[in-house]
Amino acid sequence: MLQRLRENKSAQGTLLALPTTVWLFVLLIIPLILTLVVSFGKRSPDGNVIYSFTLDNYVRLFGYSTDCPEGQASCFDPLYVNILGRSLSLAFNTTFFVISLAYPLAYFIARAHPKQRNMYLFMVLIPLWTNFVIRVYAWMMLLRKEGAINIILGWIMNALNIPFTPLEMLYTPGAVLVGMIYEFLPFMILPIYTSLEKIDTSLYEAAADLGANSIKTFLRVTLPLSMPGVVAGTILVFIPVMGTFIVSDILGGRQVILVGNLIQRQFLDARDPTFGSAASLILMVLTLIVTYFYTRKFGFGEEIVVA
Amino acid sequence: MNKKNLFTLLTLLVIASMALAACGGGGSAATTESEADGPKVTSTGFACPAAEFPMEVTSTEVNIFVWTEYIPVEMLECFELVYGVKVNRDEYSSNEEMYAKVSAGGSNYDLVQPTDYIIALMARQELLQELDHAKLPVLKNFDANYLDFEFDPGNKYTIPYQAGTDAIVVNTDAVENAPASWEDLWKPEYAGNMVFLDDSRATIGLTLLTLGYDVNTTDPAQLDEAKTKLAQLVPGIKLFDSDSPKTALIAGDVDLGMTWTAEALLAQQENPAIQYVYPTEGAILWQDNWAMLKDAPHADAAYALLNYTMQGDVFWLMLRDFPYTNPNQAALDYAKTNQTELYDAYMASPITNVPADAIKNGHRIADVGEATPLYDDIWVEVKGQ
Repeated sequence: MLQRLRENKSAQGTLLALPTTVWLFVLLIIPLILTLVVSFGKRSPDGNVIYSFTLDNYVRLFGYSTDCPEGQASCFDPLYVNILGRSLSLAFNTTFFVISLAYPLAYFIARAHPKQRNMYLFMVLIPLWTNFVIRVYAWMMLLRKEGAINIILGWIMNALNIPFTPLEMLYTPGAVLVGMIYEFLPFMILPIYTSLEKIDTSLYEAAADLGANSIKTFLRVTLPLSMPGVVAGTILVFIPVMGTFIVSDILGGRQVILVGNLIQRQFLDARDPTFGSAASLILMVLTLIVTYFYTRKFGFGEEIVVA
Repeated sequence: MNKKNLFTLLTLLVIASMALAACGGGGSAATTESEADGPKVTSTGFACPAAEFPMEVTSTEVNIFVWTEYIPVEMLECFELVYGVKVNRDEYSSNEEMYAKVSAGGSNYDLVQPTDYIIALMARQELLQELDHAKLPVLKNFDANYLDFEFDPGNKYTIPYQAGTDAIVVNTDAVENAPASWEDLWKPEYAGNMVFLDDSRATIGLTLLTLGYDVNTTDPAQLDEAKTKLAQLVPGIKLFDSDSPKTALIAGDVDLGMTWTAEALLAQQENPAIQYVYPTEGAILWQDNWAMLKDAPHADAAYALLNYTMQGDVFWLMLRDFPYTNPNQAALDYAKTNQTELYDAYMASPITNVPADAIKNGHRIADVGEATPLYDDIWVEVKGQ
């Protein structure tokens, strides 16, 4: 038996993949099927699921309402579509700013002396040792009306004799964006760094020999070769931002509702797991569509494996 | 990154995490030592009173699911020391959240702290077990005014924990014209400067009151009207927070809003300009209670916990940490003789010692049965706009 296993390469592969397969099946496939089944159900007044087959939850999500002004049989209520749109635009904005901040930093680290490189990478990783939620709370201290940023600005303005009213930063959509950028920055820096670091320095020499200036070298050599890192980072940032609800809950004062908040609330506040399930599935589909078109254009970003 | 560099990095990470783990280990070793020594003193130096109603307990742990920031540290630590039972605590910040988690099943909790209106719903869903009053000698500690409510006649499922009100809170230093009614909160001058509890029934309830309707209406037309009106208020609410609304008030992020008893009192202790106003339409009255879940795995320890933490010489700690209206007469009596300062402050403040006319004028949120989804939908829709 063992002898045969030793000789049979494909049986070995199956055996090695078995634990992960079981894991994924129990913790991903089964819950997904449950979510799908529940999303076609109805809620009871007390918030239990009544299993049935109705598309009501999806219809409601896309805004076709039966609760209309008099005289109309159906009308469009953009509430949930707006929430989806808001989440998408936040995810795009976050990804854009994260790339703009992460690329120069990753470039700097990749070009640093090898001895300092580890030090810098280490500094990028240190914040990740603290719990995600605690780091978001720390931003509250900074952004408050009487928080660190306003106090320092107050001093500066005072010294310059310019009248100063504290800025309203906390509990605004801007605060949510800042929090998201901060939380997901390391997930962009690391893959970009990895792909920059792998570039063979002889390529730069070759570019210089052939008469390219530094801008041209960057555009024609560095940037294309580091794209896999950017793509991998984008996937690592965009997808979680679409689903996160903690940052908007804390820094948005529960006023900035994203699709993640909507789903969480359906399960906890509104006692409607059926609508929550439908919203979760739509979120997944939406994220998959965006990721699909993105990866078709830019490749899958092998750096995701390295990161 | 080459292999050697990666290895160095990993080594550093491992060393650092080991160092952190060592710190954690040291702390827990210290507690075990003090346990063996005998004298029952908490880590904060509070000497634990002996059990007034000693119970036979075989369970070694008890799982409680309670409101955030609602139980004094010493209370649970003393219970652990006196009974040798470990208390596992999870927290929630709305009744709806608690209900959703408990009704999903498999929660393994023994005790929860439901507010009045959710009790009928939980009982109807057969989530609660009837309390055995013979095992609750501590019941004699309660003022009869806080027992036998409509939400649980005869205290079949619950015993009181704390009571209070939802009313208007305002920083009179920062707000020139303090609001006197719920209706006033719609004034444009307050927009963008308010904190509200993240509480659907209370917020919709106060909106119904401004329209002259009952807080527990089931009439869809009235609720629709309330939804339209509430939708005008919500953009002016800067923050919904049921965990610690006082923080934003004290920090000056907001200057007024709707909150409950102790949050207002604690904020007032930090800043005397913060006032609590019982609105002319009437405040919302509520009571939080202890209830035991049907499939509570450690019922014996749960009864012991109720009896111990609610005895007078322990429960007075609530006056110090979470000054809500205290239904526990024994605790008030204890404070009267042993903690005069706390007792006097409690009796003197209209926030905790609610004036009789505010109670008479107040409204209680009740279970609305079939109309529950209407309330739930209003909440999601006005907040998501």
